[in-house]
Amino acid sequence: MVDATTRFFEDLDRRGYEPLLAKTSGTLRFDLHEGAQTTHWMLQIDRGRLEVTQEDREADTVVGSDPRLFGDLVTGDENAIAALLRGDMTVSGDLRLVLQVERLFPGPADSRGPHRAFQREMS
Amino acid sequence: MAQSNTVRILDGNTFVVCEDTGDIEATPSEPTGLFSLDIRFLSKWVLTVNGERLNALSYDDLQYYESRFFLVPGMATHYVDAKLSIIRERAVGGSFRETLTILNHDEKPVDLEIRMEAASDFADLFQVKDEILNKKGELYTEAESDRLRLGYRRGNFRRETVISSSEPARYDQRGFAYSVHLEPNQQWDTDIDVQTFAVGPGGRDLRMGLRAHGTERLALQHDLEEWIAKAPKVNSEHGRVSATYRRSIVDLAALRFSPLSLGGQTLPAAGLPWFMTMFGRDSILTCLQVLPFAPELSKTTLRILGALQGTRFDDFRDEDPGRILHEMRYGETAAFEEQPHSPYYGSVDATPLFVVLLDEYEKWSGDVALVKELEAECRAALRWIDDYADLVGNGYIWYERRNTDTGLENQCWKDSWDSISYRDGTLPGFPRATCEVQGYAYDAKVRAARMAREFWGDPGFADQLEREAAELKERFNRDWWVADGGYYALALDPQGRQVSTLSSNIGHLLWSGIVDDDRAEQVAQHLVGPRLFSGWGVRTLAEGEVRYNPIGYHNGTIWPFDNSFIAWGLRRYGFAEEAATIASGILDAATYFDGRLPEAFGGYHRDLTKFPVEYPTACSPQAWSTGTPLLLIRTMLGLEPHEGHLAVDPRLPVGMGRIEVLDIPGRWGRVDAFARGRLDLHNLDA
Repeated sequence: MVDATTRFFEDLDRRGYEPLLAKTSGTLRFDLHEGAQTTHWMLQIDRGRLEVTQEDREADTVVGSDPRLFGDLVTGDENAIAALLRGDMTVSGDLRLVLQVERLFPGPADSRGPHRAFQREMS
Repeated sequence: MAQSNTVRILDGNTFVVCEDTGDIEATPSEPTGLFSLDIRFLSKWVLTVNGERLNALSYDDLQYYESRFFLVPGMATHYVDAKLSIIRERAVGGSFRETLTILNHDEKPVDLEIRMEAASDFADLFQVKDEILNKKGELYTEAESDRLRLGYRRGNFRRETVISSSEPARYDQRGFAYSVHLEPNQQWDTDIDVQTFAVGPGGRDLRMGLRAHGTERLALQHDLEEWIAKAPKVNSEHGRVSATYRRSIVDLAALRFSPLSLGGQTLPAAGLPWFMTMFGRDSILTCLQVLPFAPELSKTTLRILGALQGTRFDDFRDEDPGRILHEMRYGETAAFEEQPHSPYYGSVDATPLFVVLLDEYEKWSGDVALVKELEAECRAALRWIDDYADLVGNGYIWYERRNTDTGLENQCWKDSWDSISYRDGTLPGFPRATCEVQGYAYDAKVRAARMAREFWGDPGFADQLEREAAELKERFNRDWWVADGGYYALALDPQGRQVSTLSSNIGHLLWSGIVDDDRAEQVAQHLVGPRLFSGWGVRTLAEGEVRYNPIGYHNGTIWPFDNSFIAWGLRRYGFAEEAATIASGILDAATYFDGRLPEAFGGYHRDLTKFPVEYPTACSPQAWSTGTPLLLIRTMLGLEPHEGHLAVDPRLPVGMGRIEVLDIPGRWGRVDAFARGRLDLHNLDA
């Protein structure tokens, strides 16, 4: 079985382009530390074009987290900005890249959105 | 809240609020301290000499980032005949630095024990504001040989204050001390450095490499001089308007704030001391006010708000795709999700106003590149208006918070709990829709249509937006007009009934252009009529409404920023005299506050008090109050970008004399505007 983090990155790689990142370029490395072991995910963004590898290369921004927290971020159970303020997630390098990529994370699964007083067909 | 005898200095969101001696001794009712990133880093900072507290002879606010205190030993209860002078000079700029100078005026040598009590409770700004102190983490103090470290730890969340001194000091758990021998006329000084750290695992600071301006005093001074030099010059015959303008430009410099994610570029924060952070609504409205004078703030504000635009449903944060944020915070309560400000999206006006600001900015600057850069964000904002804000399905923007615990009940600018009431004083249910927001939505569509046609190459979308805007205007004029009053309702309730209270909100409708031409006259007469106009300005709520209270936060006080948009709206519909009446009332009020308009002042009639009564807990300086004189000057001079040029059509009251504004920046380069008071106002004596 593939974990949520792997699914998240594989999905990004498969998509190949993300309009929310159309103005963003740079490289982010996610270092997921568990004991002595670190899993690396490398995300390369070129004006919205995405490429994911598992290389441990130099990057503009390095994000550090434990794998469980990161799994909760990509499923919407945890919020990345709050995690960053708490110090549970660390960032070195260009913080702006993280704030842009963070917007790709989903909201909490139990969030329902606007309370409409009517039924509407959404386009 | 901060008392008027407190002294405040700041740089970005690092600021000090202290007593007039320079001491900090925080209590729940006296929220003094050194604050940074929404956390208090010093709650005690008390200087004694030979065990005695000091007495203030005077203090100077030198610049917004520095102040100086002249002190003598002993209290002021007896004749001061001191043989010692103590000078505390301090500045913020990244860290907090204090230079302590002691002079012996005696003919004899003295031995002095100089001590600073230092402590921190690391309270979150929200805990200070609401007077709750219930820390879940652990406080620690480490006295080292060359520094004192005060810290707070909760899980990986760590904040530290590190104090060091150029002259060797003895550090202990409660502060630090010096033993000094001074010969007659000898002087002693030391530089004390207080650094604030937001430490992550591995010792990295959250703010590493990010500063609003240079951190050094000289860099701050240089930055301020450059800021002032770049702004247009305003000269006025009587000096009052130009003095108020200069105060505003300096305060605006102080209120610039660099969010962590902007790499050092600045946007206006909302206000000192509680709101030194990014607010969608406040930042956008301030940018609109100051566009003719400081256009670059608009560019950074639009960019950062666009970059943090909502992308998903998050009920805790009231986030939706396309929604522009309301408030961002960096403190402990945001970090641990005890408050939703990471960021919080619960505002319904920031999103349409985002579109309005982009269009207005382009008209002044000619910066087409930014309009193209933010096309996707604008389209998302417009989708939010139609898809997610229309909770009732009748074509209006409504609000109802999903975060019922810590979210905002009222998501319009009048955001206190009782700001929206029926004429009988009861409060409507949810969802609610307030009138001014429908005006903003109309304006956003009209302006987006222009951008779509001229810059996005999408005439079809432009046609659609214009059609929608026209339909909205027609619908609005049908559903919101209070026929027997001759004005627009404050709000609609969930059943679609009018909340027919008379309020200042109708002034914003003129600014947005949603008012039918044949109704504008009636609206204008209400705004300068006796129920709304006090002689100083337009009250938030009209006299005679059940909840009217001249010192009710949103129920009767006068908000300068509100008045600046009302005046702009009056001018837009051709009511130059009414606009000038409000402008001169507010500018007169400003002179009572040394040119620094407070957030709000009392709605008492001008004849009753003779001077404007400051609202007791108001923030000052506050960004949109600081921007107010600038928008009023724009309005009175009739400055409008027109087909690539700057049109000037001044309509000043007689008493204002001659006013000139030099070097107004824009797509025309820099031009000057001159005006002379010719309007004979009679409303002021009403």
